[in-house]
Amino acid sequence: MTRSAWRDHDWQLIHDRPQSPSLHMALDDVLTHEVGAGHRQPTLRIWEWAAPAVVIGRFQSLRNEVDMTAARRLGIEVVRRISGGGAMFIEPGNTITYSIYAPLSMIKGLSFQEAYAHLDAWVLEALDELGIKAWYQPLNDITSAGGKIAGAAQVHRGGAVLHHVTMAYDIDAARMLEVLRIGREKLSDKGTVSAAKRVDPLRSQTGLSRETVIDSMIATFRRLNGLTGSELLADELARATELAAGKFSSDAWLADVP
Amino acid sequence: MSQSMHGEYKMPGGKLVVVDLDVRDGRLAKVQLSGDFFLEPDSALHAINSTLEGQSEHADEAELATALREVLTGEVMMYGISIEAVAVTVRRALNGKPEA
Repeated sequence: MTRSAWRDHDWQLIHDRPQSPSLHMALDDVLTHEVGAGHRQPTLRIWEWAAPAVVIGRFQSLRNEVDMTAARRLGIEVVRRISGGGAMFIEPGNTITYSIYAPLSMIKGLSFQEAYAHLDAWVLEALDELGIKAWYQPLNDITSAGGKIAGAAQVHRGGAVLHHVTMAYDIDAARMLEVLRIGREKLSDKGTVSAAKRVDPLRSQTGLSRETVIDSMIATFRRLNGLTGSELLADELARATELAAGKFSSDAWLADVP
Repeated sequence: MSQSMHGEYKMPGGKLVVVDLDVRDGRLAKVQLSGDFFLEPDSALHAINSTLEGQSEHADEAELATALREVLTGEVMMYGISIEAVAVTVRRALNGKPEA
């Protein structure tokens, strides 16, 4: 079997109302499974956030990454996602997050590095159309001359790959540093001691509203790959709601790496 | 007697690898690997922790890597982390000062 191309698939768009952080974690789990099992066409999902959150990577230590006392005081929900990678600080309106649920055939024969760049090629084009010269910075960052714009993570489940990305639209760096513990070792090869300085958000670069940036990205995806409007199915939402209230809200999962 | 130790290593061209462990009677105990790397399947994390458990506190990087290589088969996928990076991080934890 050769690698499948974007246009070989009937891409579906899901852009639903704001949802809780734990429901987002669960939707990624359920939709990756559904695409992998062939129950759902490959899908692009744009996230809307109902609440501020810290999302830590699958293998990150909760206590090494997050000041839970500060998170509680600030009303920030802390969740663990199913993919590896680093912690993200989310405030509604400050990030643009999307997931791509693609069949494994799309990344067949590609190295990890190539697979990340391949599934975000449309985003680099979308950014270019918004006047931002951006490129892929291995392993898993999208960056511009001004700094990091986005971070990606992939995980393989069954016959599908989940590729999800959080882009900085705007950032409250002071608040982020209140809840995230950012170690010096992590920054040792970054040439700067300030985590905030590493991020170059889209708002200051484009001067456009978040909604305008999202609309433009969706238009670019549609033009390049084709895209049909879609909704979450009732059973997908029901299963995700159950997982969100169970596994993804449980201390056992959150502190699986304590 | 046991003491908690912590080691961090930013793998060149990779991600942050962190190991927390205790040393009990000269052996590694309560070993916990963490970081912002990518590892599949999920269960490989537990396999690494339990392989390191019970290793001598004097095991060098090569010995630790050999032990890990025996349990991590070809189907384990690592991105931003390697067996050698885990071994380096364990040694850093063991060579560092115990956490207060």
